[in-house]
Amino acid sequence: MSGHDSKYFTTTKKGEIHELKEELNSQYKDKKKDAVKKVIAAMTVGKDVSMLFTDVVNCMQTENLELKKLVYLYLINYAKSHPDLAILAVNTFVKDSQDPNPLIRALAVRTMGCIRVDKITEYLCDPLQRCLKDEDPYVRKTAAICVAKLHDINAELVEDRGFLEALKDMISDSNPMVVANAVAALAEIQEGSSKVIFEITNHTLFKLLAALNECTEWGQVFILDALSKYKAKDARDAENIVERVTPRLQHANCAVVLSAVKVILQQMELITSVDVVRNLCKKMAPPLVTLLSAEPEIQYVALRNINLIVQRRPSILAHEIKVFFCKYNDPIYVKMEKLEIMIKLASDRNIDQVLLEFKEYATEVDVDFVRKAVRAIGRCAIKLDRAAERCINVLLELIKIKVNYVVQEAIIVIKDIFRRYPNMYESIIATLCESLDNLDEPEAKASMIWIIGEYAERIDNADELLESFLESFPEEPAQVQLQLLTAAVKLFLKKPTEGPQQMIQVVLNNATQETDNPDLRDRAYVYWRLLSTDPEAAKDVVLAEKPTISDDSNMLDPSLLDDLLANIATLASVYHKPAEAFVSRTRPTQTRDEDEEFAEQDSGASDTSAPAPDGAHQVHGGYPGAGPSGPLPPPGGYGAPKGPVPPTGPPPPAPAPVPDLLGDLMGLDNALVPAGPVTQSAPAGPPLPVLLSAQAGQGLQICGQLIRRDGQVFYSLRFENNTQMPLDGFMIQFNKNTFGLASAGPLQVPLLQPGTSANTLLPMVLFQNVAPGPPNSILQVAVKNNQQPVWYFTDKIQLQALFVEEGQMERSAFLETWKSLPDSHEVSKDLPNAIVTNSEATLERLLKTNLFFIARRILKDTSQEVLYLSGKVPPNVPFLVELTFLVGYPSVKCAVKTPSPEMAPLFFEAMESLLR
Amino acid sequence: MISQFFVLSLRGDNIVFRDYRGDVPKGSAEIFFRKVKFWQGEEGEDAPPVFKVDGVNYLHVKVGGLLFVATTRVNLSPALILELLQRIARVTKDYLGILNEDSLRKNFVLVYELLDEMIDFGYPQTTSTEALKSFVFNEPVVIDAARLPNLGPAALFIQGTKRVPGTSVTKSVVANETGGRKREEVFVDIIEKISVTFNASGYVLTSEIDGTIQMKSYLSGNPEIRVALNEDLSIGRSEFGGAFGGGSMVILDDCNFHESVRLDDFETEHYLTLVPPDGEFPVMNYRMTQEFKPPFKVFPVIEEAGPFKAEVVLKVRADFPANVTANTVALRLPLPKTTSRMSFELEAGATGQSTDFKEANKTMEWSLRKIVGGSEHTVRAKLTLTQERNVNIRKEAGPISMSFTIPMFNASKLAVRYLQVVKKSKSYNPYRWVRYVTHSNSYVVRV
Repeated sequence: MSGHDSKYFTTTKKGEIHELKEELNSQYKDKKKDAVKKVIAAMTVGKDVSMLFTDVVNCMQTENLELKKLVYLYLINYAKSHPDLAILAVNTFVKDSQDPNPLIRALAVRTMGCIRVDKITEYLCDPLQRCLKDEDPYVRKTAAICVAKLHDINAELVEDRGFLEALKDMISDSNPMVVANAVAALAEIQEGSSKVIFEITNHTLFKLLAALNECTEWGQVFILDALSKYKAKDARDAENIVERVTPRLQHANCAVVLSAVKVILQQMELITSVDVVRNLCKKMAPPLVTLLSAEPEIQYVALRNINLIVQRRPSILAHEIKVFFCKYNDPIYVKMEKLEIMIKLASDRNIDQVLLEFKEYATEVDVDFVRKAVRAIGRCAIKLDRAAERCINVLLELIKIKVNYVVQEAIIVIKDIFRRYPNMYESIIATLCESLDNLDEPEAKASMIWIIGEYAERIDNADELLESFLESFPEEPAQVQLQLLTAAVKLFLKKPTEGPQQMIQVVLNNATQETDNPDLRDRAYVYWRLLSTDPEAAKDVVLAEKPTISDDSNMLDPSLLDDLLANIATLASVYHKPAEAFVSRTRPTQTRDEDEEFAEQDSGASDTSAPAPDGAHQVHGGYPGAGPSGPLPPPGGYGAPKGPVPPTGPPPPAPAPVPDLLGDLMGLDNALVPAGPVTQSAPAGPPLPVLLSAQAGQGLQICGQLIRRDGQVFYSLRFENNTQMPLDGFMIQFNKNTFGLASAGPLQVPLLQPGTSANTLLPMVLFQNVAPGPPNSILQVAVKNNQQPVWYFTDKIQLQALFVEEGQMERSAFLETWKSLPDSHEVSKDLPNAIVTNSEATLERLLKTNLFFIARRILKDTSQEVLYLSGKVPPNVPFLVELTFLVGYPSVKCAVKTPSPEMAPLFFEAMESLLR
Repeated sequence: MISQFFVLSLRGDNIVFRDYRGDVPKGSAEIFFRKVKFWQGEEGEDAPPVFKVDGVNYLHVKVGGLLFVATTRVNLSPALILELLQRIARVTKDYLGILNEDSLRKNFVLVYELLDEMIDFGYPQTTSTEALKSFVFNEPVVIDAARLPNLGPAALFIQGTKRVPGTSVTKSVVANETGGRKREEVFVDIIEKISVTFNASGYVLTSEIDGTIQMKSYLSGNPEIRVALNEDLSIGRSEFGGAFGGGSMVILDDCNFHESVRLDDFETEHYLTLVPPDGEFPVMNYRMTQEFKPPFKVFPVIEEAGPFKAEVVLKVRADFPANVTANTVALRLPLPKTTSRMSFELEAGATGQSTDFKEANKTMEWSLRKIVGGSEHTVRAKLTLTQERNVNIRKEAGPISMSFTIPMFNASKLAVRYLQVVKKSKSYNPYRWVRYVTHSNSYVVRV
């Protein structure tokens, strides 16, 4: 071939298409090929050359592979938009799939699978069937992937034609590449299905382990990932697998190493021999460290994974802390991750070395990195009590350099150190006070003020210091205002002299009269009332002893950590979030315009956000010392809260104070708001409960309930239009909630004529916008349409819709888990309205909601029956259940044991409604 | 598996784009580029290699001034994707001889053909240059080498990517030489990246060597090759450090091998046997934390010379044999933020040296084109400060970072004893190149 491909980009003369057409039909092969290249070139830069479809397809019938591939490339691109024309190519495809040349056979099947046109898929089945049994492994491995392609287009067809069985047979194929692709295809199909399609048996396990040594690096990853889902029978089985997988740790490909680590970690859980486990840990350390010699991008992935691994098994890398020291040329994202791991590995033994490093980092150029290094010193102080003093000395040295952001960051962490070690290091306060004037960041200011208030009795000029902040009180951010308020009260209680008394007057006045911040106002009123009624009580409340804080460097919740460790070497392990939080099973819809419209609605609706009247939100922020936050009756002079203003149209009949569902409610995530008369929780029966009555919704009635179907959560909704006008443009939005439930796609409701109704199933995802704080069952929903104002209503999250299919437990596992959980994790409750009239029928009902039967016994003395069940809610919270009852009599005693006992109330609610 | 693959230039131009699944909207390349360019995270302004936007996960690597990107919607192995992206870059370079925007554009048909063989429906398939040769039919258009910076053996010493530095060889493994016949030759490069951190008193705090034995074969008929390494090589750090090892023992902490390598005789004879596939590939990667003699020692003196003045003297000594010469040496020293001016004084008769004061980040730079083993060089600098210091000036300056390349030198003492091409014919005597090079990775001197 002569010349450059880029010359194909250059012609822009008139009649270009016409010219190409002629060349495509030329009798000279070279000219033809050149023409096709020009067409492809035009295609890749986004020019529309679809009008040449027939001419290009005509070139398909050639023995020249180079030309054939080009035509296929074109076909894949345009078949979707020209399905009728694509049919023209079918015959050639079918013919090619029987060509004597295996490359052409494979190419035909591969390309047909990429053409996502229904009519073509029908014709694909026969060639695919043949190719799955082809004598050439290249064809077979291509066909294996093609089954996954077909499944993506038409799952039924794959099952009907027995392609799944063919794939399973391929696990025994003699060629490892074929095995690997079959495993990959099966794993993908399994992923999208709730049925058991691909399960590793003893036999397949053997085949997979055999293929593992032979296949390409990518194939090894597919197989290792499949193996990580295999549950070994016992310790021996697990040891066997580990023994076969361990050599993979030597692979040059980091993906293979990480997937092998995943399998080994999984199987290690089952291995009982301490020696074997210790030995494995020792073997895993060097390869894990070697990952840090790879490209920085891969180092980042490795570090995120190591972060998880050391949380569970710190011993693996306990002696390797040096390799996590930052190199000056590491990208910032690598440095940050290394810092995290250094904190996790810091111990009394290596802390001096670590502190020297942190100190160096704290003088580097990158501000974000410096801040994190300073914070790291503080976290080490909190973690290691014997090293605390050394950490503080380093912080003081850094403060002396007087780099402003270093000083501020240091003060923030020193506040935490004071909380961790009360009455130990207060002598340094004087040094801190020297920097007072330079503080300009809210968090640092708030920390300094907290320190002054907390230790007011030891700081001679505490009142002067606080006074210096008071001048700017109205302009300070809320965080600082709140701290100033509390510190002033503390000072007054500790030194009830004239100065502080005046100060407290000023502060309370400012905080009650001059502010729009309900948090500040509330706190001020609480203090005011406390001080005026019973100063001694005020002392007890405000100066109460604070619970000690602990190091937050092992922050991940144990059940989340379990879930993530099972997902080592996946994106979940990089984000440190369960897969459900970012993967939705539903395909994205093509209607992009709708998304955009929705975005508009977002901004429009958030205009309605108004300060919510606070019922139960916290009175004080993250700082201690403000006393309990009970709902006190508001003292006088506290005007009625303003209700929100509806965005358009006439006000709804019952404008109950509603939360802003679309935003964060000014940081009050959990503001519970009475939903007013609109939400009558209707009894659960076959018809869906009414969520928005026709009366409240100006004629629009909405009924709905969360349900579970095929392993996915849906919001089953019914819309009834009792108005005089057609309604359309329905959209839905969910506020932050305990499970982060949110819609996985747009709400599909057709235009509703007056007097008609529509049902819809809205697919839901979990962990999309999780509300922090203790779990509750509140689900706040906003629905809008083009004709009416936005409707808000509150639904209850019924836990029974969330129990996952994988909640089943072996009896032994149940017993073990029960024993392993401390008694404090057991909660029980009498459900007076629950009744079991027939245990069999009840069990069946419970099984349908994924509560699985474990065991049953009869109590001899009371002839009560006891049932044991297991269930699990995402991300990975098991519930072990004990139900005690007398058949046929109301009242069931329900006891649950779970790693998250705070979820128990939700569970009881669910149980009560299930046993009705 | 992956939904799309694309290559962007650093300006954001779309050079290659391939959609495998149709489940990610078309504008993804633009969304990606905007996100990377204006990254604002709590972790600084450098976008991490893995992030998500609206349910689409973006994974990328930077190779040769290009961004290689993959998108996906599922929870797959990010290491797999990042390795794959690196591999695609390497295979493409094998085919095109050189990897840049120009060569990709000129060979787009070949690139698409390669991609179709390397990835099917988002699953990586064959990614070895050798195996691909039987499926790929387009021939590369090698771009004009004359327009590239001067090549030859020196190109080996151009600073490359982290694990696989650029090799001297910019010719395609498949394209025919202009002269017609292919030259029979094989290159084996021992490339080491060394990291050393010295504390303020010149004592080594940490040191580490990341090494690669890299091979690029142009031998016809794929003969077997035997690479023999040091006889006193041992792998795995023992509990006793190297206490029993004696002076000359080479102890690697860990190593891994290319899949083509047979290790039957490695334990006993310390040689690797392999049939090298075409293309460039790492035969063996290794890591060593055993103590070694750092090639350079730096003696910094930073002193106050009055309230608004300070003096810096940097002396660098090359602790390697005189027959070895380091090149492209540079030292960088961050100075107090209040530094406003600097003047430099090089040693008498200095050639190939230059100094600079980078105003933007208040850093002094001292570059030396070459340093002969055993020699010493010094630079003196005077600086003017705008404010009086409140702490010792040493606390506001440093650390010194140093970069260099030392051809025909490796700090680990790992060596190729011999390189044998096992072929029947006696007259067959291909060119065999064994080359060593040491690059600085993170070479830091605290002050």
